[in-house]
Amino acid sequence: MILGLFLTGGVFLLLAAIAAVFGRETSGLKRRQASLLLIITGCLAWLISSGLILAADSSLYLELYQLTPSLTISFHLDRLAAFFILIIALVAVCVAIYSFKYMEHSGTNRQRNFMAAAMASFILAMALTVASANFFSFIFFWEIMSLSSLFLVLYERDHAETPKAGIYYLVMTQFSTLFLLLGALLLNLYTGTLDITAAEGLLPVNAGIIFLVFLVGFGTKAGVMPFHKWLPFAHAAAPSNISALMSGVMLKVAIYGLVRLILDVMTPELWWGMVLLGFGTVSAVLGVIYALKEHDLKKSLAYHSIENIGIIVIGLGLFIIFSVFDLRVLAELSLFGALFHTLNHAIFKSLLFMTAGSVVVATHTRNIEDMGGLVKRMPGTAIIFLIGAAAISALPPLNGFASESMLFQAFLGAFQLPSQVVAILLFVALAAYALMSALAAAWLVRVFGAVFLALPRSTSAEHAHEAPRVMLIGPGILAGICVVLGIFSYQIIRGIGLELPLPDLLPISLIIIIVIFGAVLAVRRTKTPVRISETWACGIHRQTAKMEYTASGFSEPIITIFSPIFRTRKTAQRKFADKARAIVTGGKGEIHSLQFFEEHIYLPIAKLTYRIAGFVSRLHNVDLDAFILYTFVLIVIMVAVAGWWL
Amino acid sequence: MMLETLIYVILNLAFVILISPLVMMLTRKVKALAQGRVGPPLLQGYFNLFKLLHKEIIYSPNASFITRLAPYLSFGFVMGAAAMVPVVFIPSGGLTGNIILFLYLLVSAKFFMALTGLDAGSTFGGMGASREMSLSAIMEPVTITAVAALAFVLKTIEIPQMFALTTAGSLAQYPTLILIALSLFIVLIVETARIPVDNPETHLELTMIHEAMTLEQTGPKLALMELSHGVKQTVLMALLINIIFPWGLATELSFSGVLLSLVSFAVKAAVLAVVIGIFESVLAKIRLFRLPSFMTLALFFSFATIVFELLA
Repeated sequence: MILGLFLTGGVFLLLAAIAAVFGRETSGLKRRQASLLLIITGCLAWLISSGLILAADSSLYLELYQLTPSLTISFHLDRLAAFFILIIALVAVCVAIYSFKYMEHSGTNRQRNFMAAAMASFILAMALTVASANFFSFIFFWEIMSLSSLFLVLYERDHAETPKAGIYYLVMTQFSTLFLLLGALLLNLYTGTLDITAAEGLLPVNAGIIFLVFLVGFGTKAGVMPFHKWLPFAHAAAPSNISALMSGVMLKVAIYGLVRLILDVMTPELWWGMVLLGFGTVSAVLGVIYALKEHDLKKSLAYHSIENIGIIVIGLGLFIIFSVFDLRVLAELSLFGALFHTLNHAIFKSLLFMTAGSVVVATHTRNIEDMGGLVKRMPGTAIIFLIGAAAISALPPLNGFASESMLFQAFLGAFQLPSQVVAILLFVALAAYALMSALAAAWLVRVFGAVFLALPRSTSAEHAHEAPRVMLIGPGILAGICVVLGIFSYQIIRGIGLELPLPDLLPISLIIIIVIFGAVLAVRRTKTPVRISETWACGIHRQTAKMEYTASGFSEPIITIFSPIFRTRKTAQRKFADKARAIVTGGKGEIHSLQFFEEHIYLPIAKLTYRIAGFVSRLHNVDLDAFILYTFVLIVIMVAVAGWWL
Repeated sequence: MMLETLIYVILNLAFVILISPLVMMLTRKVKALAQGRVGPPLLQGYFNLFKLLHKEIIYSPNASFITRLAPYLSFGFVMGAAAMVPVVFIPSGGLTGNIILFLYLLVSAKFFMALTGLDAGSTFGGMGASREMSLSAIMEPVTITAVAALAFVLKTIEIPQMFALTTAGSLAQYPTLILIALSLFIVLIVETARIPVDNPETHLELTMIHEAMTLEQTGPKLALMELSHGVKQTVLMALLINIIFPWGLATELSFSGVLLSLVSFAVKAAVLAVVIGIFESVLAKIRLFRLPSFMTLALFFSFATIVFELLA
C-alpha cells in the first residue's frame, strides 16, 4: 500500500511533466492547471506514504531498472528518506497551489507550460534523489534535479542578471556533482559497491578524504560558505515559486546526503564534527550579516538561507562531537534539532519566497528601498510574511525557536564533555550562534519594516494591490504549520517517541494568550476615545516618505560595529560654495561593502582557470600530427600513472 | 500540581505587575536625590499608569495594525517570561522555566516594540528601532554566554531549579557566581535601557534608544508599553537577586512562606533599585559606537567563569 502510494505519486508527477508540454498550444492554461493539479495529487500521495513509513517505522525497497549488473536504479525508503520526502511533498503542494496564479503573471503561453513541466520534473527528481538506494541513481537524479532547476533559473532570460546567475549556477552545480562522483568512486574503490550502505574497514585517512570530498560536493549544493556564491544570484533570478522550491527543498536534498553520509555510511571522527561546526558557524554568522546589508529582497532571503543551512550544519557537527564522546542525549538533541530545523526552514523559507514573490509582482521591483507601506495595501501577505519572518528569526512560540532552542540546549550541555579544549571551542561557537540569532531578529525588523511599514517610497509601491487568493492560500497553509509546529513542538516530539529534554511551549503560549486577552479587555473597559491625527514630525505638517528610516539607515549601526568583519569602504564628497570651505552646497556619501569571497577566492580561481585555458587554446591551434602526438603522450602518462598507482 | 501551578502563575504575575512601578520610581528617586532634587513621590508610577489609562489614544494616519497590536503582544510576551521566574515561591514542575525560552520571550517583546518604532514612518522611531536592534545584536552573545556560564556552574538550565539550588546551597559553594552576577548586572543595565547605555529620562534625539520606539504610543497603549518595560526590569532583577541572594524565597506553597518571599523580594529589589540609581548617577552615557566595549566586559566575566569552572 505504501509502495503503491509512492509509485502513484511518482507516476502523477511524471504525467504532470508530460501533460504540460504535449498537445495544442491554445489549451495552455487548462493544461498547466491540470499539470499543477497532478503535482498536488502526486505530492499528497507521497505525503501519505512517507507519513505511513514514519509512523510505522517500516522501510521499502524497490528495484526499478537495471542498466548493467552493477549499475541499477533502485530505491530504498527508510525513515530518514521518508522524512525528507515528506518535506519535499509538503512544500511542493503549497508551491503548486501558489503557482496557479503566480505563473500567469509573466512569459508567453509556451514558456509557462514549459515552467510547469520543468517544475514537475524538478520535484520528481528531488524526491527520487532522496529515495535512491545507490550512488548511481542518486547522482543520476541529482543531475536531473540540477539541470531542470537550471532551466527554471534561466526562465526570465530577458532580465539582465539572469545569464550571470545561470552561469554561476551551472558551474557551481557541476562542481558539486563532480565532487559527489569523485566521492562515490572513491568509496567504490575501497568498498567495492555503489550501494549507500555502511562502509566499514576504511583507513581513517581514506575515510577523512572521502568525507571532505563529499562535504565539498554537498556543501556546494547546500550553499555552505565559501561555496555559497551561486545561491544569492540563482535565487534572485529564478521566478519566486522556483526560488521557494530551490531554497526550501533543493538545499535540503544536499543536507539529506550529508546526514545519510555521517549516519549510515561512514563512522565519523571528532575532527569531522569540528570541521562541520566551523563551516556551519561561519555560514551562519556571515550569512545573516550579508543578509542584513542586502537591498534585493530575494537576495536577502537567499543569504538568510545560507545562515539557516549553517545552523543545520552546526547541528550535525555537534551530533558528531557528542557521539564521539558518547553523550547520547546531547547527540540526539543536536541531530533531531538539525533535522527539525531542516523541516522548519523548508516551511518558512518557501513561505517567505512565495510572499516575497507576491510583493515583487505587486511592486515590480526587488529593491526594498523602493517599497514601504505595503501592510495597508497587502494586509494578508504582510501577516503571512510576518509569521514566516518571526519563525525564521527564532521568536517563540513559533517553530524556528523550537528547533534552534534544541541546538542551544545541546550547546549548553557542552560542560559534560571530558575534553576541555573542545568544551571551550563549543562555548565560543555558542557565542557566535547567539550573535547570529540576534542578528536574525534585527534582519527581520529591517526587512519587515522597510517592505511593509511606514509610507511607500515609490509610486509602484503606492499602487500595489493584494495578491489573488490562491497566492495567499499556499503560503498561508505553511504559516499555519509554523504556528502549530511551534506551540505543540514538545507534544509532537513526545508523540513520535523521542524523549528529549525540551521546553514545553504550550503552557507559556496559553499564559501569553490569556494575558493578551486580559489586556485587551482592560483597555476596552477604559472606553478611551480613539483619534487618528498627525503625530509629532519635527514641526513639519505632514510626514513624507523622505523622513522615514530606510533599510540602509536601519542596518548602518550594525555594519559600522561589525566593520572589521564586514570590511566596508565609505566615501564622502562635499561641494563647497566658497574658498574657505564653509558653505556646503551639496555632496554625496556612499558605503561599499567589499566582497571577501569574490575577491580572495573566486576571482583568483577564475583567473587561474582563464590562464590555463589560454595556454591550452594556444596548444590547440596546430595541425593533426601534433594532436596525435599529444594523444600519444597522454596515453603514455596515463599508463605509467595507472601502473604506479595500482 | 495543576492547582499549585495555577496559583503560582497568578500570584507571581500579579505581584510582579504590582511591584514594577514602585521599583522604577525608586531608582528615579535615588537619581533625583543624587542630583540634589526632591524627585517625584514614590507612588508616582502608579499615578502615571492610572492617568494614561484614561487618556485618549491617538494614532498616526500612517500607522497600521502593528501599532495597535504591538503593545498587547509586547506585554503578553513579557508576562510569559515573567511567569518563568519564581518570585513568590518555587513551583514543583508543571511549567517550564527554560532560560533560553525566557530570553527569547523578551526578544519577542522587543521585536514588536521595534516594529512600532518603524510603523508610523517617523524618523525617531526608526532611529530607536535601529539602535535597539543593533545593541541587542551585540548584547545577545554576552547574555547567552552569561547564561551558559550559569548553566555550567549550576548544571541546569531551568530557572526554578537554579533558584532552588542557590536557596539550598550558599554562595561559598558557588564562588564563580559572583563573576556571573557582574555580567548579569551589565545585562540588566543594557536590557532595561539605563545609563550608560541609554537614558530613560530624556527625549533628546541624540541619546534616546528605547524611548524613541514608544513615541508613537499614547493613552492606555503607552501604559501597557511602560508597564511591560517595568515588568521586564523587575523580572531581570529577580533573576539576578534570586541567584546571588536567594534568602527568603519559599520552596513550596504555604501562606507564611509566600508572605516571607514577597516581603524579602520587595526589600532586596528595593536595595538593587537603589544600587542601580547610584550606578546611574555616577556614570555618563557612553556614545553609541563605544558601547560594544562595555558589553565585551560582561562577555569577559562570563567567559572567565567558564574557563575557571573548566579548569577547577
